[in-house]
Amino acid sequence: MEKQPREQAVTEPADSGAGGEEGGSPQVAGARTARPEDRLTLLLRLRAQTKQQLLEYKSVVDANEEKTPEQIMQDKQIEAKIEDLENEIEDVKIAFEIKKLALDRMQLSTALKKNLEKINPKTSVLMDNMKHVLKLNKLIMKSQQESWDLEEKLLDVRKKRLQLKQASEGKLLEIQTEKNKQKDDLASMENSDKIKTIQQNLQMEIQITTVIQHVFQNLILGSKANWAEDSAFKETVLQLEKNLTMM
Amino acid sequence: MSVLRPLDKQPGLNTATILLVGTEDALLQQLADSMLKEDCASELKVHLARSLPLPSNVNRPRIDLIVFVVNLHSKYSLRNVEESLHHVDATFFLGKVGFLITGAGREGHCSIHWNTVVRLARTYRSPLLFCDLEVEGFRATVAQRLVRMLQICAGHVPGVSALNLLSLLRSSENPALEDV
Repeated sequence: MEKQPREQAVTEPADSGAGGEEGGSPQVAGARTARPEDRLTLLLRLRAQTKQQLLEYKSVVDANEEKTPEQIMQDKQIEAKIEDLENEIEDVKIAFEIKKLALDRMQLSTALKKNLEKINPKTSVLMDNMKHVLKLNKLIMKSQQESWDLEEKLLDVRKKRLQLKQASEGKLLEIQTEKNKQKDDLASMENSDKIKTIQQNLQMEIQITTVIQHVFQNLILGSKANWAEDSAFKETVLQLEKNLTMM
Repeated sequence: MSVLRPLDKQPGLNTATILLVGTEDALLQQLADSMLKEDCASELKVHLARSLPLPSNVNRPRIDLIVFVVNLHSKYSLRNVEESLHHVDATFFLGKVGFLITGAGREGHCSIHWNTVVRLARTYRSPLLFCDLEVEGFRATVAQRLVRMLQICAGHVPGVSALNLLSLLRSSENPALEDV
């Protein structure tokens, strides 16, 4: 649906700054009145306007000069750039606000000073308030200091506890390593070759002695001698009966 | 001249031109009259249009401020404004465009939710004004505001530019970066 855009223009001039006439003819030239002050005002105003407009055009030209690689850049980069610029603007705004606050504070303090010079400082409510504020501030500082000290103590206790824990850890570790070493030594000892050979030798000796025992036993039995009668003989025979592997 | 550009013409001396775009002719006319009644040191020119693009055969001065008027009672006005927005150059939105919403007073007749227009203003990063244009007092107030904005956008106020005004207006209404 094609709409015919209609347009109406309504114009009307406004009063010039110091002029005494109302309404006036609908031209900029209508401000050229008889009085030169009006003309001067108008000229000064025009000068200010032209300066401002020139500034705007200049800034647009400068902005356009920077524009070149934007079509090729990706969306994310453009967004990042926009964010950076906005951050800069916010920083400048914040700085401006802080300066304004500082100026306000200075103004307030001079006004306060002048006020104090006028009235009797001992009796005013302001002084009472300020004294109260000072007292409270001192109290705050004291309690802050106390809490800081307590925190320091707490920190020290915690540090000590940590140190003790670490020391006990170390000790336990030592004990464990010692135990392990002992176990290892024992195991190694049991597996060592020397012991094996000694054991083998021992076994051999035991077997030889057992054989000799048996030989003697058989000798004595074979001789058909009565070994129960002589006590020394009996002892010898009984000793031969001893099983050497059990010893 | 299908796209409006902000700085393609020389500014007239001591002249500030505002373009009101909206479908409610009577309201626009009344607003224009209120604006012209305002006391202003510069010469004011008010152009009214139903929609953009403007006919190219007319010789018109440089437009300093465009105000899109949306009536919350009619979806047609919103659609009209949205279509007209395509015919405005992007550099216009650096402070020289504003949205004026009317009809928010009568909640029962509103067919557009105010959140829609708030999002629209946020997309285009432009200031949003609410006013019931049918009430004389409110109309006069918003006319005064528009005249001040127009003076700044036309460069008649030394030290304040349209972009400056935009960032000043923005800090209280909508934060700088919003995902829309």
